[in-house]
Amino acid sequence: MSAQEWLAIGPLLAVFALAMLAVVLDIARPGRDRLVTGVMVVGLLGAIALTGYTAWYFGGGEVEVFGGAYVRDALTSFLDLLFLSIALLTILFSPDYLHPRRLPMAEYASTLMFAISGAMLLGAARDLLVLFLALELLVLPGYMLAGYAKRDGLSTEGAIKYFLLGSFSSAIFLFGLALVWGFAGSTRIPEVAAVLTSLDGAVSLTPALTMGLALLTAGVAFKIAAVPFHYWTPDAYQGSPTPVTGYLSVGPKVAAFALILRLFVDALAPLKADWVPFIVVLAALTMTLGNLVALTQDNIKRMLAYSSIAHTGYILVGLAAYAAAPPGSDTERAGLEALLFYSAAYSFMNLGAFAVVTALQKRTGVTSQITTFAGLGRRAPLLGALMFLFLLSLTGIPPLAGFWAKAYVIIAAVQVDSPWLIGLAVLTVLNAAAAAFYYLRIAVVMYMGEPSEQTAPVQVGRLVSAGLVLSAVATILIGLVPGPVIAFAQEAARALL
Amino acid sequence: MTELPILTLVTFSPLIGALLIAFIPRHNVQLVRWAALATALVSFALSLALLPAFDARQAGFQYVEQLDWIPAFGIQYKLGIDGISLVLVVLTTTLSWISILASFGPIKDRVKEFMISFLILEVGMIGVFTALDLFLFYIFFEVVLVPMYLIIGIWGGANRIYATIKFVLYTLAGSLLMLVAILATAFAFQAGHGGDWAGAFDYEQLRQFGFDITLQLFAFGAFFLAFAIKVPMFPFHTWLPDAHVEAPTAGSVILAGVLLKLGGYGFIRFAVGMFPDAAQSYAPWIIGLSLIAIIYGAIVALVQPDMKKLIAYSSVSHMGFVTLGIFIFQQQGMEGAILQMVNHGIITGALFLCVGVLYERTHDRTIAKMGGLAARTPVYAAIFGFFMLASIGLPGLAGFVGEFLVFVGTFAVSPVAAFSATIVMTVGAAYLMWMYQRLIFGEVSDFLKGLGHHLTDMTPTELVTLTPLVALTVIFGLFPGLVLELIHVPVDGILLQFRDATAGVAP
Repeated sequence: MSAQEWLAIGPLLAVFALAMLAVVLDIARPGRDRLVTGVMVVGLLGAIALTGYTAWYFGGGEVEVFGGAYVRDALTSFLDLLFLSIALLTILFSPDYLHPRRLPMAEYASTLMFAISGAMLLGAARDLLVLFLALELLVLPGYMLAGYAKRDGLSTEGAIKYFLLGSFSSAIFLFGLALVWGFAGSTRIPEVAAVLTSLDGAVSLTPALTMGLALLTAGVAFKIAAVPFHYWTPDAYQGSPTPVTGYLSVGPKVAAFALILRLFVDALAPLKADWVPFIVVLAALTMTLGNLVALTQDNIKRMLAYSSIAHTGYILVGLAAYAAAPPGSDTERAGLEALLFYSAAYSFMNLGAFAVVTALQKRTGVTSQITTFAGLGRRAPLLGALMFLFLLSLTGIPPLAGFWAKAYVIIAAVQVDSPWLIGLAVLTVLNAAAAAFYYLRIAVVMYMGEPSEQTAPVQVGRLVSAGLVLSAVATILIGLVPGPVIAFAQEAARALL
Repeated sequence: MTELPILTLVTFSPLIGALLIAFIPRHNVQLVRWAALATALVSFALSLALLPAFDARQAGFQYVEQLDWIPAFGIQYKLGIDGISLVLVVLTTTLSWISILASFGPIKDRVKEFMISFLILEVGMIGVFTALDLFLFYIFFEVVLVPMYLIIGIWGGANRIYATIKFVLYTLAGSLLMLVAILATAFAFQAGHGGDWAGAFDYEQLRQFGFDITLQLFAFGAFFLAFAIKVPMFPFHTWLPDAHVEAPTAGSVILAGVLLKLGGYGFIRFAVGMFPDAAQSYAPWIIGLSLIAIIYGAIVALVQPDMKKLIAYSSVSHMGFVTLGIFIFQQQGMEGAILQMVNHGIITGALFLCVGVLYERTHDRTIAKMGGLAARTPVYAAIFGFFMLASIGLPGLAGFVGEFLVFVGTFAVSPVAAFSATIVMTVGAAYLMWMYQRLIFGEVSDFLKGLGHHLTDMTPTELVTLTPLVALTVIFGLFPGLVLELIHVPVDGILLQFRDATAGVAP
């Protein structure tokens, strides 16, 4: 392998190394949680710097490694940076929650790093088999993390549901891959795309290919938690330790969208006219149902779980815009840009919101009922203000990151000259207005309610503070100067099309 | 003059003040109050500084500032004002400092948060009137929501949470649809320019573009919904009485004085300016709704037992004149509409201040419980009476001229509409005078007697808040030309363009 190729897979290797280092550290110096945390933070910062350098070094070009199974292009770099940021924030938020509950940090960090490496591999895979392996590498540690509080019944319940439905959907997905492979005769994504293109609409969908496409769509819909494949989400989110919930709500979701980009956009693009209707319906159902059910939730983690389902719906609008646009048009790319931009904005604001919940639950026994937030604006003004900021961003109030994300998705949708997509855009804004109700409900409790029980002052650890500040700065900066992120997303989308 | 970005200064000076206030210790309440007042006065002074160099005879926008913000979509940071915006900006800065001063007494809890919210609110309001980029406009339009939501929700009355959520959901639903429309027009513009996004959100360029009628009808519909909810027009007005009743005094003043004008301004500037054909085809319906609002608001106001609710419904009625004046597309009518916006801002703002004064002493707003105030608080009775008469439209005071011009304009277009609107003037006189009579004259009520010496006449601070408004009411009543001179040229421009654009489609 050439030096260039080593550099291309450098970020991935770094995260692998970190995962292993966490295990080794735990063996060499058992119970030194702070040391592990420190090493992880420094290591992730290094990996982020390395990814930044790699992105700069390769510019708009692409490098294939492992005979074309792994590719580093602008999309890979975009996703890598996003996943690494998610990992860094999750690590920052975790110790304050794990420590008081006597949950070990080293295994946690190691598991998380393996999951992140799976996500990064997923974003770079150009081979159907590698895609599947990366997917499993992503989700298996996820099941473990969900059940990490093993003495907690809810955590175990959530993890088992997550595991059963997750592995079920993986199997469905794998079956779909097999059918596509059987049709195309190759697992290489460019070759699959070439075979499908050569059909050129002459042969429409054969039964096998139809089955394959349907199974793949269902499998992926499970992973992104799109309605009606979302049933595992609320339980898994509610039961998991809060920092894990935060991670689950962004990491695997964005990674599943990366999978969609590599599989559906790269390999199955010639068939896209056939899956447009499904995506449109999925998007409409997902955001509407997610929001409607979120309206009635009293548990903050469940509410955020349903809200994350709704956000999946908004991201799917971007995908629908891509799919409905004529091939090779600017509009087509705008849809993918919107998808990427939304993923980035959503990651920071949603992690931020979960981090506030985590910070409140530093003391054990603090529930995740909405009443936990009662009078927070008075008890901890700064924490309350941050939560308010994240909620405003999730609502989509300008000039915060979440606003641009929604605007971008809507721009992409209205660009496609199709009544379906215009309808979807209108549905998106109506949903955004409805969502304001439950986000603002938290704000109402924070600022307008009195603390119901005698609550001790909230103490926020230094790491959590650092993470909160990072998320808040990202949420505000992406809002005020979205230009650079848009430019990066454009470059990443160009790598695909 | 081009070097100093004075519009940016006017728009963001409250934000700077808000940031500074964030660093003042919470317990130092007096300092927070005075700092907020000083900030509002600074932006007031800055907005007045726009006047001398402003050339009222020049068409187009002045003090224009233009920077690329998000070049990928041609979104700019572009500010600029014409006479219409200038008048409304000065109205905003005036009412802002008065409201802040008026909340020195009533707001005792979480003063710091209140003042910061209020100043951010001011940024949003000024921004709406100065933005010339549609995206920027939308952002300011939305920014207004958040502080108002907090002001009603935290410092409001007993039913505040219901009121504030209703306010936010109504407004958000309308404005988000407007966002889709903004993006759709921008895309049509971009497609019409060979895929070049440059200028796709620039108001001045979009105005020249001439959208096809289908897009106009859709986009106007979305804009209409957003602004009609803000104004509020019948039947989108139901959030207003709730919001007014629950909001603290300063919130009510700003809500009536400025927030409602965002809708009227939006109609003139964007809905009519950009979609003239659609505006013309919808106009009969909008005129109909305006007439309903004028009559319905007045009749419902008659039977309100709560002072604030009564004034809120009177706002619905008065704002009906604004939309009526705009959509008859006639010089006097539109100038009258703008004048009515300014005057309604001053007079209704003052009426809410008066209600606040009484509420501070009685903690009640039920009209039936009051009576005989003239004997106990003569100064208050006099000032309240003054604004009551101004609101009825007594000639010589500000309220008269705007409505009169709208009548004149309407009469030229549709005598029937003008006639039915005139009748309402009588009802308007009835509900306000009846309220005044019940409050001020007669025997001192038992409820007020029970308050004993708590029922004092107006304090010097309260006088300071109301005196400028008294002066403005008289000045604008006697010399409406002061405002009309500023708005004449821009209104002319809008109507000229409207006639040009619709000449081809006219029946």
